[in-house]
Amino acid sequence: MDKNKPMSELRRGVMVFLALAILTAVEYVIGTNEAPTIFLWVIAIFKGALVLVYFMHIARLSGSEGGHE
Amino acid sequence: MNTPATTLEKRAYKIGTARVGLWLFFLSDAFVFAALLVSRFYLLGDKRPHLEQGLGLIVTSVLLISSFFMNRAEVQISQGNRKAFVTSTLITMLLGIVFLVGVVGFEWGLAPFGPADGVEGAMFYMMTGMHAFHVLTGVVFLFIILRNGIKGRYSPEKHWAVEAAANYWHFVDLIWIFFYPALYLIGTV
Repeated sequence: MDKNKPMSELRRGVMVFLALAILTAVEYVIGTNEAPTIFLWVIAIFKGALVLVYFMHIARLSGSEGGHE
Repeated sequence: MNTPATTLEKRAYKIGTARVGLWLFFLSDAFVFAALLVSRFYLLGDKRPHLEQGLGLIVTSVLLISSFFMNRAEVQISQGNRKAFVTSTLITMLLGIVFLVGVVGFEWGLAPFGPADGVEGAMFYMMTGMHAFHVLTGVVFLFIILRNGIKGRYSPEKHWAVEAAANYWHFVDLIWIFFYPALYLIGTV
């Protein structure tokens, strides 16, 4: 087994979490200051994409990774 | 005759089919939530319910942190680290329960309207209620994989149930990513 792979996956999880946390804070500031709604939608879509790609591993649907039973 | 190669092929096919089935379920469930989201903007427009902003941010953060631990649990079991898997799954479960207490226990009690007090109440309780129900079922799934994990039923080669439960948990988080601004941030009180 490639010992580095799970480690890098853990690191990637931390990076994605930090990105989501920062975006949530920005979202809160924008929302409570009544800035244009479009920014909130853009942030939500970006956060959703991060979750889909890095946490839900949508690429696994193509069968290119995660070959366990 | 089953050679190791054909066994691996069968496994790959089996898990590929299971993944497609799971994602089709996500897609169908997403339509329910999308309908609720559209209804919120159709019925309330630029007006948002009067809710506790601080509490909204706290429960959102709790769910976000739980997704981090869920991801960690999945990575740990794929590495064969059962102890870390159990710890991360347990933390995820507890954070899920904290989220439920925050929304159903506190936010529902603090909201200045009831489910029958017009469109605002109906939308708020329907959206948070439907989402909370999914969090609750997610906690049940997590309990099942936690129990099986403690019994040593998962390995780096065999942990599809963990992947499915983790994806379900992240899906619930994904829904809240859109519900949070729709309920708490977009529009004026």
